[in-house]
Amino acid sequence: MAPITTASNDETHQALLDKLDLFPIPKPFRNPHWKPPQRRNKNLRQILADAQRAQTSLLNTQQNSGASTPIPPSDGTQTPPSSLHPNPAQASQDLSRAVLEKNTKQLHNGNTGLLTPGGATGGVVPSVTYNSIAAAPSLKPKRKYCDITGLPAAYTDPKSGLFYYNAEIYGVVKGLSTTQVQEYLAARGANTVLK
Amino acid sequence: MPHYTVPVISQSGRNSPKPPVEHLYPVSEPPYHGQLPTDTSTYRASSSSTAIVIDNGSSSIRAGWQTDASPRLQFPPVMARYTDRKLNRKLTFVGSEIYFDGTARGQAKNIYEPGSNIINNWDVLEGALDYIFIKLGIPGRDGVVDRPVVMTEPLANLGYSRRITNEIFYELYNVPSVAYGVDSLFSFNYNGGKTGLVLSSANTSTHLIPVVDRQPLISHATRLDWGRSHCVEYLTRLLKTKYPGLLTAGKVTDTQIEDLVRSHCYISQDYDNEMVHFLDWTGLEDRDHIVQLPFQEKEVIQKTEEEIRRAEEKRREGGRRLQEQAAKMRLEKLVRKEQELEWYKQLQQQVQDATTKKEVRALLEDEEFRDESHLDRKIKEMEKSIRKQRNKDVGDMEEEPEEPPTYPLLDIPDEELDEDEIKAKRAQRLLKSNHDARARAKAEKAAEKARQDEIKRLDDEHREKHFDDWVEERRAARSALVQQIKDRERLKAELGNRKSQASQMRMKHIANLASDTPIGRKRRRGGGDDDGFGADDADWMIYREIQAGKNEDDEDDEDEDIGTQLKAIEAQLLEHDPQFTEQSTADAQRDWTKSLVHAFVRGPWPFDPESAAESSQFHLNVERIRVPEVVFQPSIAGVDQAGIVEIAEDMLTQRLASNPARDLLLKDIFVTGGYTLFQGFEERLRNDLRAIMPIDAVLNVRKAKDPVLDAWKGAARWANSAESKPAFVSKAEYLEKGSDYIREHALGNVYP
Repeated sequence: MAPITTASNDETHQALLDKLDLFPIPKPFRNPHWKPPQRRNKNLRQILADAQRAQTSLLNTQQNSGASTPIPPSDGTQTPPSSLHPNPAQASQDLSRAVLEKNTKQLHNGNTGLLTPGGATGGVVPSVTYNSIAAAPSLKPKRKYCDITGLPAAYTDPKSGLFYYNAEIYGVVKGLSTTQVQEYLAARGANTVLK
Repeated sequence: MPHYTVPVISQSGRNSPKPPVEHLYPVSEPPYHGQLPTDTSTYRASSSSTAIVIDNGSSSIRAGWQTDASPRLQFPPVMARYTDRKLNRKLTFVGSEIYFDGTARGQAKNIYEPGSNIINNWDVLEGALDYIFIKLGIPGRDGVVDRPVVMTEPLANLGYSRRITNEIFYELYNVPSVAYGVDSLFSFNYNGGKTGLVLSSANTSTHLIPVVDRQPLISHATRLDWGRSHCVEYLTRLLKTKYPGLLTAGKVTDTQIEDLVRSHCYISQDYDNEMVHFLDWTGLEDRDHIVQLPFQEKEVIQKTEEEIRRAEEKRREGGRRLQEQAAKMRLEKLVRKEQELEWYKQLQQQVQDATTKKEVRALLEDEEFRDESHLDRKIKEMEKSIRKQRNKDVGDMEEEPEEPPTYPLLDIPDEELDEDEIKAKRAQRLLKSNHDARARAKAEKAAEKARQDEIKRLDDEHREKHFDDWVEERRAARSALVQQIKDRERLKAELGNRKSQASQMRMKHIANLASDTPIGRKRRRGGGDDDGFGADDADWMIYREIQAGKNEDDEDDEDEDIGTQLKAIEAQLLEHDPQFTEQSTADAQRDWTKSLVHAFVRGPWPFDPESAAESSQFHLNVERIRVPEVVFQPSIAGVDQAGIVEIAEDMLTQRLASNPARDLLLKDIFVTGGYTLFQGFEERLRNDLRAIMPIDAVLNVRKAKDPVLDAWKGAARWANSAESKPAFVSKAEYLEKGSDYIREHALGNVYP
C-alpha cells in the first residue's frame, strides 16, 4: 500500500488508515436482520428496459384484456372513482390505475395549456418519465469542427470521414492509422462500433 | 454560408519568438481533505422531527441537519471496501478519505453509473449513508435511525431507483419518514424564485424546468445528458489523441483531469470566431496553458573541464601506444623481409655461379622456383615492397619515378613466340589494358573538370548578360525540384494505401511479370516461347518500378540527392537574386513557427523531444473552450441532443408560446449547478437567448448565490418550514401503499 504523499511514512500512514477505517466502527442504526436483495445493481439500460416492459404489460391489461372495460372516453366531466372495478381480480392494478386516472382528470379539468403531451394521448400513457424528458435531437444544422484541432472545419476527408481545417491538417489526417482515425471519430461519436 | 471566416495567412516568414514559458501548471494532488469530524451534540439537541438533509449529488454528497446553515458534511460519492491481504482485515473508506491511500483509491467505486444521474451501486449508497449517520452521531438503538430524512433525487427519477432507496431507508435504517425533492428546484426556491426557467447544469446532466407560480411544469422539463463529468471524459479523450500514451505514462487520474477542467476551461462568448483565432501567433502565449506532469529527469553527468581533458589525454595515450606497437611490428616485419631478400639475393648469386644446369635446377627447385626469371621477379617484388614500406615508416628512400612500362611482346605475332612467351604476352596485354584504362579515367576526370568549369563559366557569363533569364531558369529548376519532392512524398503516401492508383499499378506490373501470357507486350507471331523481354533495355526498368517503396535506403539516398540539389540552387539564388531571401527557402517555409499543428500541440514555444520535462507536458489551448462548449452544441461531442439554448428556444417560443406566464419565465432565467461555475456561462446564455427572443422581450439571467450548495440549503430551509410536513411519507404508509407511493409537492417529482 503506497502512501500518497512523501510526507507520510509507513507508520503514520498505518495510524491514519486505522483512524479512517469505517469497518470496525459499530453501526447500530442498521437493521441487523435486513438482507439486501440479490442483484440490485442494475445499469440504466436494464432499468429502463424493465420499466418499459412493466408499462407495456400494464397498458395491455388495461386496454386489451377482456376482463376489464376500457376507461371511458374522458370527456372531462366525469371520471368517478366508482369506475374502478369492483372485481377483486383487478385489485392488483388498482393503485396504478387510480393514479393514472387521477392524472387524466387533472389534465382535462384544468391546466391544459401547461400539460399537453399526456392529455393528447388520452392520459393513459404516463406523462413524465426518465425517457420522456430527454432532450430531442437538434433541428439546427450541425457545425463542423476540425477533428484534430477543434477549429471550424470546411473540409471532410472522404476516406476517413474526418473533418479538417486546412491543408496542413490534411497532411496529418492522411498520416493517421485506422485506429487513430477511429479514436478521433469516437470523440464526436462517429466511430464505427463493431458488434 | 460558413459559420466563420478563415483568416488570411500571411507569408511573411518566421514568426517572432516568444518570451520563455512563465508559468507551468501542475496537476493536483489527490483531493484528500482529512477526516470529517463526528458531532453528536446536534443530535442530542434535536427533536424527533428534526430532519437529516442529504443532497445526493454526483459530484459530492452534502449532508447535515435541517437546522444547519450549510451542510456539515461534504464528500465525493465514493466508497472503497476491500480486504487487505497483508493486514488480513477488511477495510472500508468513504468520501475523500479514500484518497489518502493508493489501494483505497484503486478500489473506489462511485454511487452513480458513470455518465448518468442514476444510482447504480447501492452498496456504496449504503456506505455513504452509514458514513453520514456515523458522522451525525446517530446512536441508533435497535437498528433504527430515529430522524426523518430529506433527500434529493434526479428529476423524473426512475421507479426502480426510488424503490431501492425506499427499501434501504425504511427497511435497513427504519427511518420514520422520508421526503424526496429535486435539487435544482430547492436551489430556485432558496434563491426566492417564483416564476422562472430553472437551468440546472450539474455534474452528470443538465435540466431545464419551467416553474410557474412555484409549480414546476414537470411535463415540459427537459434533460440534456451532458454535465461536468462528461467534460472530464471528453477532455481525457481529446488529450489521449493529442498526446498518445502520455496520460497513461503520467498516471493522470480522473480527479486531476476534473481539476484541469475546473481551473482552465471557460465558456467562449463567440465560439466560432474565438476558435478560428485561438491558435494565432499573437497572444498565443497567454491562451496556451502548459500542464506539467511529474517526470524523471534523465541523468546527465556534467563533466568538468579537468575531467574532459584527462579523458582526452588518456585516449590519446592509448592511441599512441597502439601506434607504437604497430610501428614496432612493422619494423620487425621489414627487417625480416630484408633478411629474406638478402637470402634470395645470395641464392641468385649461387645460381649465377653454378656451373651446370642440373645444379641450377636443384637450387631453384629447393626453393620451389620454376626458373631464374621467377626468382628475379620475386626479388624485384620484394625490393619494391620493402622500398614502399621504408618510405612510409622511415622515409629514408625516395620513390623512384615510375617508368612507363613497356610491352615488348605485344607487337610480335604469336607464331614467332614459344609457349611461355605467349603466356607472358597475355599477361602483358592484361597489364597494358589495365594501364590504359587508368590513364583514360584520369583523362576523363580532367575533361569533366574542364567541362564543369566551362559550364560554370558559361553560366556566369549567361548570368551577367541575361540576368532575368538566368533567374527565371533557376526558379523554374527550383520549383521543378520542389515538385519532385512533393511527387515523391505523394507516391510514398499512396503506396501505403492499397487502393491507390500507384499501388494498383504496381500490383498489375507484378501480376504481368508473373503471368505466362503478358498483356501489353504483343507476342511475336510464331516467335515461340520468347516474348522478347529484355531486348529493349527499358524493359528492365520494370523491376525498379515494382520495387518502389521497398528499399527505403535507396529512396532516402535519392531524397537526399534532390535535397542537396535544391540546396545548391537555393544557395545560388540567395547569392544573386535580390528577391530571393532566407525566408523563401524550403527550410524556412517548413518552419515550426508557421505550423498550426505545432501551435496546437506545443504552443508558441520550440519543442525539444530530448527534454524529459517537455515530453511530459501537455498544452491546453483550444480545449479550454472546446470542452465546456458542448452544453451549447452537444453535437461536438457526439451527443445527439439539442443544446441548452435550442431547448430553451423551443420551450419559450413553441411549447409555452401561448402560456400567459411566458414573459414572466423570460424575466427570471435561473442558472444553478456546478457547470455554471465556468466563467462566462451566464453572459453566453444571455447573449444567445437575446439573439433568438423577440426584440422587446425583457430577458434576465441570474445565477444562484452559490450554484453548488444552494440545493442543500434550499432543502434544509424547506425541511424547516411547515410546507414540507405533508410531503413526508411515513414508514407505515410505505408498508401499506408500497414503494411507488410518493407525495407530490412543489419542489419534487410527480408520479409518472
